[in-house]
Amino acid sequence: MRRCPDCAVQVEGDWIRCPLCGATLVGEPVPGPYPAVPLRFSRRRVLRVLALSSLGVIVLSYVAQLLFGPDDDGIGALRSVWLGIATTWLVVVMAVSKRRNLAKFIVYLVVAASGVCVYWDYLSGWDGWSLTFVVPIVCAASIIGLLITARVVRMELGDYVVYSGLTVLLGLTPIVFLALGWVDTVIPSAICGGLSLVVVVLLLTVRGGAVRHELATRLHL
Amino acid sequence: MSRPVRRRHWVRLDNASNIFPATRSDRDPKVFRMSAELDHEVDPALLQEALEETFERFPLYHAVLRRGVFWYYLQDSDLHPVVEEETLPSCAAIYQPDRRTLLFRVVHHRRRISLETFHALSDGTGALWFLTDLLAGYSRRRFPEETPPRTAAEAEARPGAAERPDPPLAAIGTHPGAQAAEEVHELTTDSFAHYFRRRRRPPDSEQTAHQEEFSREAAPAVLTVQEADEPPTEDAPLEPSAPRSPHPARHRIHRVRGTRTPDHRTRIIELTMPARPVLGLAKAEGVALTMYLTALFFEAIRRSEAAPKGARRAQEAPTMAASVPVNLRQFFPSTSARNFFATIRVEHTYGHGDDSPGAVARGLQERFSAEATPEALEQKLQKLIRVERMPLARIVPRPVKDRLLSVINYANNRRLTVAISNLGRVTLPEPAESHVGRMLFHVSAVRPQFCAISHDGLLTLSFTAPFVQTAHVREYAALLTEAGIEVTVSAARVSEDELLEFGT
Repeated sequence: MRRCPDCAVQVEGDWIRCPLCGATLVGEPVPGPYPAVPLRFSRRRVLRVLALSSLGVIVLSYVAQLLFGPDDDGIGALRSVWLGIATTWLVVVMAVSKRRNLAKFIVYLVVAASGVCVYWDYLSGWDGWSLTFVVPIVCAASIIGLLITARVVRMELGDYVVYSGLTVLLGLTPIVFLALGWVDTVIPSAICGGLSLVVVVLLLTVRGGAVRHELATRLHL
Repeated sequence: MSRPVRRRHWVRLDNASNIFPATRSDRDPKVFRMSAELDHEVDPALLQEALEETFERFPLYHAVLRRGVFWYYLQDSDLHPVVEEETLPSCAAIYQPDRRTLLFRVVHHRRRISLETFHALSDGTGALWFLTDLLAGYSRRRFPEETPPRTAAEAEARPGAAERPDPPLAAIGTHPGAQAAEEVHELTTDSFAHYFRRRRRPPDSEQTAHQEEFSREAAPAVLTVQEADEPPTEDAPLEPSAPRSPHPARHRIHRVRGTRTPDHRTRIIELTMPARPVLGLAKAEGVALTMYLTALFFEAIRRSEAAPKGARRAQEAPTMAASVPVNLRQFFPSTSARNFFATIRVEHTYGHGDDSPGAVARGLQERFSAEATPEALEQKLQKLIRVERMPLARIVPRPVKDRLLSVINYANNRRLTVAISNLGRVTLPEPAESHVGRMLFHVSAVRPQFCAISHDGLLTLSFTAPFVQTAHVREYAALLTEAGIEVTVSAARVSEDELLEFGT
C-alpha cells in the first residue's frame, strides 16, 4: 500500500499524490475501493433552463399580439404564422417535460390548444369559431385519443384514470357553451358533450372503485 | 375496459421523511450508502440471487415514491431490483420525480457490496437490516459448507421482528422490543382501515397478502410506537442525519466553506483504523466515542482554518455546532424500517476555558446526555406525532409544503457546522461475519459530515462534503496519527485533476 510521508497515513488505490495533502506518495499501489467515474454534467439543468426560457418567450410572443388590432393591414397572415410557430414550440416544450406521463400530456395539450385558439379567435375579432368548433373537436378527439393510448401502451389503470377524468370534465364544458348560447352550430358541442357523458358514466360504473381509490390516494390529507 | 384492475397499496410519507424529497438537490440527493468489504471479489450472480431473496422479505423496499396533491406517498410496485457494477459516483440521485424507480440500489465493485438508499424510504438502522440480510444470503450461497443450520422461523423473519431479535443494543444500536410486531399490526390496521374501507378485497390471494404486508411494513414509524415499559438507558447509538427542530438563533455558528465539486458529486474520504485504540482514547477522556469523535472534528476544522484568513474567521465565529441523530427505536420499540430518529444538536464555543478535545468532548457529552433521555426524546416524539396529525399542516398543498420545508431546512443548516452519525458496532450472522471485513457508511451532505461504523475490529469514519477541499480530513487524520493510531485513507476521485492523474 502507498504511504504519504507528510500525513503519516497509508493510502489505498493508485493515487500518485496524497488525496489529503497533495504530497507525492511512496510505495507500491494496491487497487482502490472506488472506480474512477468520469465527470458527468446533468442535461437536466440545461433542459430546465431551455424549457423555462422557451416558456418565457412563448408567453411574451402571445402577449405581444395584443399590440396589434384585428384590423391592422397585413397582420392576419403574419399573426397566424407567428401564433402557429409559438404554439408548436409550446407543444414541444410540454411534450418534452411531460414525456414520462402521456395521459398528463394529453390534458395539458387540450388545455393549451383550446386556450390558444380562444385567444386567437379573440385577437382576430371574435367570430366564435374556437368555441363552436375547435374546443369541442379537440376535447372529443383527446378523449378518444386517450382511450386508444391507454390501450396501445398498456398503461396501468391507476396511471391514467385521473387524467382521463380531467379530460372528460374538460369535454363537458361545450355543454356549458350550449346552455349559455355561446355557439350557433350545435353539432360539435353536442357530440363532444354526449361522448363525455357516456365516458363519465362508464368510468363511474365500470371503474368506479378504481377512480375512488386513485382519488383517495392522490387527495389524501 | 376489461383487463383485471390492480389497486396498488400506498402509504403516506410521514412528516419526518417529507423533508428528504422536499430538500433534495443536485449536490445533496439525500442518499446514503452502506457498504461491506468481503475477503474476495464479489460474485454478481450470487449477489443477485441473495438480493431477490432479501427483497422478498422487505415489502417496504418494493415502494416507489409518488406525489399527491397534499403529500408524497409510497406506493407498492412490481419492479425488481438488479445488482449493478458500480458506474456512478457514490450517492448518485435515486429519486427523480415522475420516474418510477425503486428507492434503493445495490452495487458492487471489486470486493465491496454497497446498498444505496433514498433517505425518505428508510434510515440507517432500517438499511442495516436489509444489508445484513443481503450479506447473510450472499455468504450462505458463496460458502454453503460453512452455513450453520437455522430454524425456519429465523430464516423467514425479518431482522428486528419478534422471531428474530436483533443483537443486543450495545452491539448495533437498535432495540426493537419483543412484542412490538403484534402491536404494529394492530395500529396500522386501524390507521389504514379508513383509507380502504370502501372496498377491501377478501384476503385470499397471495397478491393481497403481499399488499397487506406492504401497508404494514410501510407505515410511518412514529405511528407504530408502543410505550416502552422500561426504556433502556444506554448511551445513544446513531443514525444518518436530517436537520430538524429549529432552535432560536443566538450567536453565529461557524460554517465551513469550499469549492463545489465540478459535477456536484459527493466528496468522500474514508479513514480506516483499529477500533480498540480509538475507544481507548475516548475512555481515557471519560466520554462516549461519538462525542470524542465530534470534538476531534471541531478541532480538525479549527486547525484546518488556522491559516491567516481562517484564523480571523474562526475568531469571528468561534462556536461550532454538530447535529447528531439518535435512533428512537431503542427508546420506543418499533420494528418499522421507516425513518425513526430524532436529531440532537450539540455545540461548543471556543475561547471560554479549556478547549482541548477531551474537555470539549466532556462538554458535548453533558449536553447530549441531557437530551438523549427517554423523557426528553419522548417530548420530541410527541411533537413529531402532533405535527404528523396537525390539520393545518395537512391541508397545505404539497408544493407549498416543499417550499416551507426547504426554508426551514435552510435556516437549520445555518445553525450547523458539521453532522455526525455513528451506527456503532455491527455483528453479522455466520458465515457472513467471518467473510466481511470492514464496513462503511456515508451519506450525501451539504456540509462536512462523517459517519462511523465498526466491524471486524475496524472503525471506519467516512467523511463526506460537497467541497473539493480535504483540509479538515487531513487535520482529522493528523490528530489520530499524532495519538499513535494507524490510519488508512481511501478516497473517490472527484476533481478533474484527480481523474486526470488516474489516466497517467
